[in-house]
Amino acid sequence: MLKLQKVSKKLPDGRMLLKNISFEVQKGEFVGIVGESGVGKTVLLRCINGLTIPDSGDVIINGEDRPQKINGKKGRELRMMRRRIAMIFQGSILVKRLSVIENVMTGKLGQISTARSILYGFTDKEAAEAVEALEKVGIAHLAHRRAETLSGGEQQRVAIARAMLQDPYLLLADEPVSNLDPKNAETVLEYMLPLTDRMAIIGVFHHPEIVRRYCSRAIGIKDGIVVYDGSPDLDQSVLQEIYGGGTEPAVKAVSCF
Amino acid sequence: MKFKALLTGERKKEEERYRRYFEKYYGVGLVFAALFFWSWRSLKIYPELFLSGIPHFIKLVGEMIPPNWQVLTGGNVAMAVLETLSMAFVGTVFGAILSFFLGIFAAQNVTPAAPVRELCRYIMALERAVPTLIIILLLVVFIGLGPFAGMVAIAIGSVGMLGKLFAEAIEHVDPRPLESLEAAGATRLQLIRYAVLPQVIPSFIANSLYRFDINLRTALFLGIVGGGGIGLNLHVAMSLFRYADALAITVIVLLLIVTAEKFSDYLRKKIIGQEVLS
Repeated sequence: MLKLQKVSKKLPDGRMLLKNISFEVQKGEFVGIVGESGVGKTVLLRCINGLTIPDSGDVIINGEDRPQKINGKKGRELRMMRRRIAMIFQGSILVKRLSVIENVMTGKLGQISTARSILYGFTDKEAAEAVEALEKVGIAHLAHRRAETLSGGEQQRVAIARAMLQDPYLLLADEPVSNLDPKNAETVLEYMLPLTDRMAIIGVFHHPEIVRRYCSRAIGIKDGIVVYDGSPDLDQSVLQEIYGGGTEPAVKAVSCF
Repeated sequence: MKFKALLTGERKKEEERYRRYFEKYYGVGLVFAALFFWSWRSLKIYPELFLSGIPHFIKLVGEMIPPNWQVLTGGNVAMAVLETLSMAFVGTVFGAILSFFLGIFAAQNVTPAAPVRELCRYIMALERAVPTLIIILLLVVFIGLGPFAGMVAIAIGSVGMLGKLFAEAIEHVDPRPLESLEAAGATRLQLIRYAVLPQVIPSFIANSLYRFDINLRTALFLGIVGGGGIGLNLHVAMSLFRYADALAITVIVLLLIVTAEKFSDYLRKKIIGQEVLS
């Protein structure tokens, strides 16, 4: 489904952020990417849907019919590939002044014609789909509120509903729960978990404990290379390897979740 | 006693500073004074005119009072008021529509083509540089006297300010929702419609309402130079020395302006207030 081949990315200052990252992800997997802050987890995720273009290496996505490289694609071709790759951003980025349901329906934009979406708007069928998605994340009653009036946890659930409307085969989640309290984080993750029967999920997580509880596989990144790829049951020695000598982040993570 | 030496030393230093200060600005002051004197001379200012004018003014006020309210009942003035209002309203609407597109094409984050952007910016800057009075004088040559010319002048006269403010608002939107829609495969037009416009439309409407206030005043003086409306009636009344008529018209004009301003203030507060509150 997704194959990264020797993906490398330099920082503007010339320092190598990602060095020859390679891994494959299959449908049904829930991959948790862990690593210290600033190690390039977000950049790696952005390389997968082409928001960031890697300096070398390929990102090959086998979604609808045949495997295609997303790097190097532009304009229409890129949009065609992106419409079924959903991304949940850190601290969910909704359009604040649109209603919740409109925000959810924007997930469909890649799949409908520009002329129709501007002159007519969304159809009743799309609205029904959006309500259904909101029901799945338990906030259908907020459908007509403005997005900015929602709490952080609710906004994150709207982001998941929006992602679901894209009917994605690949869901990228960049620290989807990092600014939520533990209870809300748990709710959001519980909603994400069942999605894996239809798609692959790749998430960036701050806390190894989340990976341990929800993911089916963990990938650890340190100094730009994959230092761990395997079972999500990250034990102390693995965490040491990923986070370096200090066990502090791991300890902190456990105590705060 | 022992501070005395210190004090005189300080004083000397201060004196030195003042002297240098004056030397530095002496030349500038001289040029400024010369400029002011020359300007004053070219204005032909004779303060005694104020004194000799007092009897004229008293006579004028005497003729103005009581205002001739009869002039308002003819229907002629009512039509002229409507004409002025329509001129400002239709002109503002067309100006806002023009500004909407100019603003979008002048904003860097939604229009990547630099030449298009620069052209739009140039058009708006040019408009800001040309006073509406000049615009109407040119238009009168084109399409003749009357409220049509006034309306067009108002529409053109609005784009400099409205377009620039709109372009700036667009450039300052939160870029993160744009990226999140881009990641879902949205086209540029879809980004504008669903991520940019929701963020900027309230301020655009508020600015247009404010511009309507300005345009109403503009519509009044455009009447004097040939744009039609109540401004023309005022001009005619003054030219024919019908001061009592002029005062009645002036009172109506003031009422019109104050009412329009209150109304647009109210609407603007409602729109912006809504934006802040919920």
